[in-house]
Amino acid sequence: MKFGAIFRYELGYQLRSPAMWFYIVVLFLGPMAMVQFSDPTNNRVMNTPRTYSEVTSIVGFLALYVSAGLFGDAATRDSATGSQSLFNTAPITKWDYLGGRFAAVFLLNAGLLLGLPLGVALATQFPWLDGYNFAPFQLGQYVQPFVMMTLPNLFISSAVLFTVASLTRQALATYLSGLGLIILYLIVVNQGFGSDTVENLVDPFGIGSLQKVSKLWTPVEQESRLLGYPPTLLLNRAVWITIASGVLVWLYRRFSFTSTGIGGKRRAARDRRAPAEGAGETANAPRVRHAIASVPRASRLFGARTRAQQTFAVARHALADVLRNRVFILVALATVLLVFVFGWDVGSIVFDTSTWPVTHLVAGEVMGLPMTIMFTVLTSLVAGELVWKERDVRVGDIAAVTPVPDWVPLAGRFIALVVVLVGMQALLMASGIALQAAKGYYRFEPGLYLRILFGMNLVEYLIFGALAMAVHVVVNQKNLAHVFVVGTYLLTLVAGSYFGLRHNLLVFNGDPGWVYSDLSGFGPFLGPFLWFKLYWAAWALMLVVVATVFWNRSSEGGIGARVRLARQRMSGPALRMVAVAALLVVASGGFIFYNTNVLNAYVTPAQLDDAAAAYERTYKRYQSAPHPTIVANELRVELYPERRAVDLRGTYRLVNLTGRPIDTLLVEVKRDVRMESLELGRAATVVREEPAFQRRLYALAGTLQPGDSMTMTYHFVHEPRGFTNSGIPTDVVSNGTYFEGDWLPIIGYRSSLEISNEKTRAGYGFRPRPGLPSVRDSALYEAMRNDLPGSQPVMMDVTMGTAGDQIAVTSGKLVREWRENGRRYFHYRTDVPIMNGAPYLSARYAVKEDRWKDVPLRLYHHPTHTFNADRIMHSMKASLEYYSTAFGPYPFSELRVVEFPRYANFARANPHTITFSEGSAFITRIDSGDVDRTFFVVAHETAHQWWGNQLRGARVKGVGLVSETLAQYSSMMVMEKTFGREMVRDFYDFQMQQYLSGRASASSIEAPMTEVESQPHLYYFKGGVVMYTLREAIGEANMTLALRRFLQKFGDPQPPYATASDLVQELRAVTPDSIQYTITDLFETITLWELETDSVSAVKAANGDWQVTLDVTAKKTRADSVGRLTETPMRDLIDVGVYAEPVPGAGPRKPLYFAKHWVESGKQRITVTVPASAGTPARAGLDPDRTVIQREWGTPLAPVTVKTGAARP
Amino acid sequence: MQLEIRNVSKTYPNGVRALHDVSLTIPRGMYGLLGPNGAGKSTLMRTLATLQEPDTGSIRLGDIDVLREKGRVRETLGYLPQEFGVYPRETAERLLDHFATLEGITDKGQRRETVEALLQQTNLWSVRKEKLGTFSGGMRQRFGVAIALLGHPTLVIVDEPTAGLDPAERVRFLNLLSALGENSIIILSTHIVEDVSELCTRMAIINGGQILLEAEPLRAIDEVRGRVWRKLVPKEEVAAVELELPVISTKMLAGRVYVNVYGPSQPAPGFEEVDPDLKDVYFSVMGGHHQRPSTRTEPLARAAL
Repeated sequence: MKFGAIFRYELGYQLRSPAMWFYIVVLFLGPMAMVQFSDPTNNRVMNTPRTYSEVTSIVGFLALYVSAGLFGDAATRDSATGSQSLFNTAPITKWDYLGGRFAAVFLLNAGLLLGLPLGVALATQFPWLDGYNFAPFQLGQYVQPFVMMTLPNLFISSAVLFTVASLTRQALATYLSGLGLIILYLIVVNQGFGSDTVENLVDPFGIGSLQKVSKLWTPVEQESRLLGYPPTLLLNRAVWITIASGVLVWLYRRFSFTSTGIGGKRRAARDRRAPAEGAGETANAPRVRHAIASVPRASRLFGARTRAQQTFAVARHALADVLRNRVFILVALATVLLVFVFGWDVGSIVFDTSTWPVTHLVAGEVMGLPMTIMFTVLTSLVAGELVWKERDVRVGDIAAVTPVPDWVPLAGRFIALVVVLVGMQALLMASGIALQAAKGYYRFEPGLYLRILFGMNLVEYLIFGALAMAVHVVVNQKNLAHVFVVGTYLLTLVAGSYFGLRHNLLVFNGDPGWVYSDLSGFGPFLGPFLWFKLYWAAWALMLVVVATVFWNRSSEGGIGARVRLARQRMSGPALRMVAVAALLVVASGGFIFYNTNVLNAYVTPAQLDDAAAAYERTYKRYQSAPHPTIVANELRVELYPERRAVDLRGTYRLVNLTGRPIDTLLVEVKRDVRMESLELGRAATVVREEPAFQRRLYALAGTLQPGDSMTMTYHFVHEPRGFTNSGIPTDVVSNGTYFEGDWLPIIGYRSSLEISNEKTRAGYGFRPRPGLPSVRDSALYEAMRNDLPGSQPVMMDVTMGTAGDQIAVTSGKLVREWRENGRRYFHYRTDVPIMNGAPYLSARYAVKEDRWKDVPLRLYHHPTHTFNADRIMHSMKASLEYYSTAFGPYPFSELRVVEFPRYANFARANPHTITFSEGSAFITRIDSGDVDRTFFVVAHETAHQWWGNQLRGARVKGVGLVSETLAQYSSMMVMEKTFGREMVRDFYDFQMQQYLSGRASASSIEAPMTEVESQPHLYYFKGGVVMYTLREAIGEANMTLALRRFLQKFGDPQPPYATASDLVQELRAVTPDSIQYTITDLFETITLWELETDSVSAVKAANGDWQVTLDVTAKKTRADSVGRLTETPMRDLIDVGVYAEPVPGAGPRKPLYFAKHWVESGKQRITVTVPASAGTPARAGLDPDRTVIQREWGTPLAPVTVKTGAARP
Repeated sequence: MQLEIRNVSKTYPNGVRALHDVSLTIPRGMYGLLGPNGAGKSTLMRTLATLQEPDTGSIRLGDIDVLREKGRVRETLGYLPQEFGVYPRETAERLLDHFATLEGITDKGQRRETVEALLQQTNLWSVRKEKLGTFSGGMRQRFGVAIALLGHPTLVIVDEPTAGLDPAERVRFLNLLSALGENSIIILSTHIVEDVSELCTRMAIINGGQILLEAEPLRAIDEVRGRVWRKLVPKEEVAAVELELPVISTKMLAGRVYVNVYGPSQPAPGFEEVDPDLKDVYFSVMGGHHQRPSTRTEPLARAAL
């Protein structure tokens, strides 16, 4: 009865509060807006369970805030309004009071969260969104996540929030515990526990568990398959609902109406010994009664110095109050923990590597984006506390009449916020250094910590802090203000992608971003970053003035009164400050605009699409027109690193290698460089010129006959003017220049410049792009064997000049090196034609030299990046040794590995020259027992000197198989030769997992290996798997034979170029007839097996041998491009293994029995004999080494049941 | 120096008319503002304390325009609000020190002396290191006075200071106030008549946002002398008496009721003259029987302007 009354009262109370309506708007319109404004051109299906959960997680983060507000309010309202004692004395039970309120708020909150499914479901039905890709409506798609995820998670988080709120009666503590939940979640999902079961159970929100359930779903499954009620997820939910219920029971036990907050017992004890009434009169203090005259007349000053002193007094007082809150200390500690969790495996970039925790990674990445979310929340909480505390403890009126100007209390509080943020940075720095030390890395670079944490990051937080303060002052409702502040932050994150708001002058606290590199520091990012921050700081100043004039001196509410008062206060100094801020906004904004929109062209993605569309419309017809081929390029590169400029002068020799005469010539120069001059070596007229795009169409005077040649002389300059809104060019920097040959003139039509997104193409009325020709369109396929548009091999002759302390590198043999006018010059020349597209690098490198046979080996690296120098050298040597023996001689005269800054993250193999980003091989950390990834990636790139730089793949489907897959296989072989089979097996398993989870990514269409196009998970990872599996089946000698023959046929740089079918043909030639099906399964189809070992029993025979019987079920299926499976009959050789009980720490297990058996579709029984001498069988199963591709990654072995009694004869 | 309040009116957005054309002149010394709950006392006090804006009217403190020069007012103002709290985890000494800084006492030594003296003054010296959260109502109230007295204010506004105090606390508190000296204007708002009669040299009675009487307590008592009569009647007869006579107050006594009646002469047989106290003045005024224009501006006079 009373429960009901309290329930109804709470419900009514909350529904009447204005905050509730704001919450409704946020939670219903938020998801709807995310669907509405999502970019229709990306092919995501917005309402699949997976995308839906993405929407949920962004909105859900905000929703946790709403929950904290609701539950915090319900639990703390009475003590805040002083009506606690009414309830204390009312004849109600704890159950009525707590239960009624909890139930009411839970119900309301659940109702609010219905906004997620309703918002998304409704948005998918908007008639104007018909261009979008929506999965068909299924009720379960919305109901199941709500029942399985949303409601239980609400229960779990609300149990915690309500408990904290009820016991502490502090809104701040409630919000902070919400933050704690998020941190806990982040810690759990980022911390691999190694065991799926443990990971499933420790995840409080079940999100990780959900991801595991759907991880291997293919796109078609994601679209149609419902979440269902998978047992692992149910278990997780049950466990956490139980825990949450336990928390509530604990609250029920612990709660007492009379306690005033957490630590109630302690406080009660204090109260008992608290001064009794009138203690003053009896205590040792002198009794003073009529001594008003004895209060000395202190001098009072109200000058500028006093104001400063008062401001600091306010700051000190407010700060002390914040720091006295124990929950705040807990959050600070949690931050340290977060640093360790995020930072423990910092920089996992290539193949799950771990990386040395270099300072810029720890300070820049670990303490970058993941922490900003935390800081946003924390800033809002602390700002709210600072603004509200005085009124919360009802000292507001007393403070209001003190003779201080309105700005003093605000400025003091802002300083307190600054100190909190600075203190947190110091804490981050300390924990970062502790993390580095714990990982055995001792180059701390405190200066860099200071610059990143107290420079770049702090500036952002301070500007945001000004916003948070201003919002709290102006909104004047704490919970609303929190949602508003966090919402603003989330909006800035999605402003570009969801709302098309991309100019950083328009997105609060926007800037072009920055990347720190050990080579070039903050490089070109620092200046623009600071300009944008100056601009936003000016806005922040404006916000602070607004906050000052709206500062609530008294608690008299009323929007009208506040506006009137604000107007009154907006005079004199405030007005002058606004003027100063406005002037700063206009001046810095104007300067920025001049840079981003006048000096540089500000182009939106839509404008880029327009330009690409115009290009395709105008020039597509020249795609099939014959064009001359670049056969030689003589180039002089003058680099000026300090000016970030480069001057390119060169001459192309062009030959008509087609069978047709050429009369027109289309030339294009990328806009990264400025075209100074472009001359043809023969008479021609420009028939069309687009200066904006540096594009020219020439009509040659007289045709260029087949076999004839001509020259083209060019002079280009790259020199950034000012800065851009985003994508600040990093090609030429003070140290660590890296640009590629695409700055040189482009001859002919490039389909790579067309719009690639099919939805966007459709919007312009273009037909879908055909993709690469498949073996099935035989005519085109054959034609492509002889044609490599735009990338024919070229003889290069390059002279590079650079600053006197730098080394310049490009492809080719270094023929001469000299100094001139304080600059250094390097002359490189190729001895055989190479791909036109060489990299051009220059930096203050340290050089490590070595030699393999008569080939000089060089490693150009940043002086401090010495961790893996020996491994890289070792890998180059081992690779050259194996490849030259197995496949054919190394065709180039030198081999070098060159480092470039981490603005890009890849490795690329050019003839002679392998380039690596600083982020990949150089700071990779290899501990004993790890797969040596540095060795592997260098071996991979070295293998491209054969597969790619000698043998060229034709531009047809399957091209990845003949370059990347072969490089992958070759490097696995070098690794096996060098480190043994175990390491390669680990790597094999890794690749298998990458392939299986890659299948689930919605963006890729799966294809057989022979048809692979642009799917890295196929040509790298599945490629490695299938090649190694085939190697296991037919032996290394046969593989090597096939590859050697393949190289012999196609290793010449001239056409015809190699295709996947050519490779498969060679592989078939060395594969025995009995297992030819393997080639079909692995290379020509997408085949997936399902092997189940249902049960295993063992019986001891009379002679002591074990007869082991395996009951197994097998199935072989073929998948189509989106993952639809059809079964196909199976009769395959599959490994059968029997093992003894594993001994912990005994190293690799040795099978008691291991042999291939023919396994067919369906259930069947396999019986094998294990000799008595081998040992007692304990586990057995099909395919223990996972050589077969199974759709799900289960455990292949089943326990053996030992049966007594004699074996059957 | 005196505080002059002229024609101040205030109507809240919800339509409540809190102050209606209030005019008062308040000299140095203790001034009592007497009125029932909701009479407009707090609105007037908050307005004087620069926390609220009236709709119309003007207030001057000596040469200070209170409504325009809030900063100057605050420099000479001590204010003890009707309801206030404290930072529960702060100590008395530290919070007082903090407010002393805000009051412009920037010299560290002087500040320490001031804080010490005030804590002594308010009998909080021995508990200066205790957390304020542990203070009783009376101690908190005295702490409030200590804050209000920082910086030797010439205008002290104390709003319902004795509301929650027990008798001993109340006495102690009023003693403290009266010791404040003669140099300041001290305005004490209360609904407890004794507060005023014991302390104030001048007073005003306010109800429904209007000043009903402005007077010196002793003179006001003199003025009702001979006009208040009382009789002890059975409970059942009270209603009948009220119908016939201007009853200003009733008081139970052993099952019967004393009725006090206002009238220039003995209203009926059996009534005896009362030796009046301030309560009788208050009830007479509240009952609408006794009124003196004092400084109130008559509507007619205003119309003539």
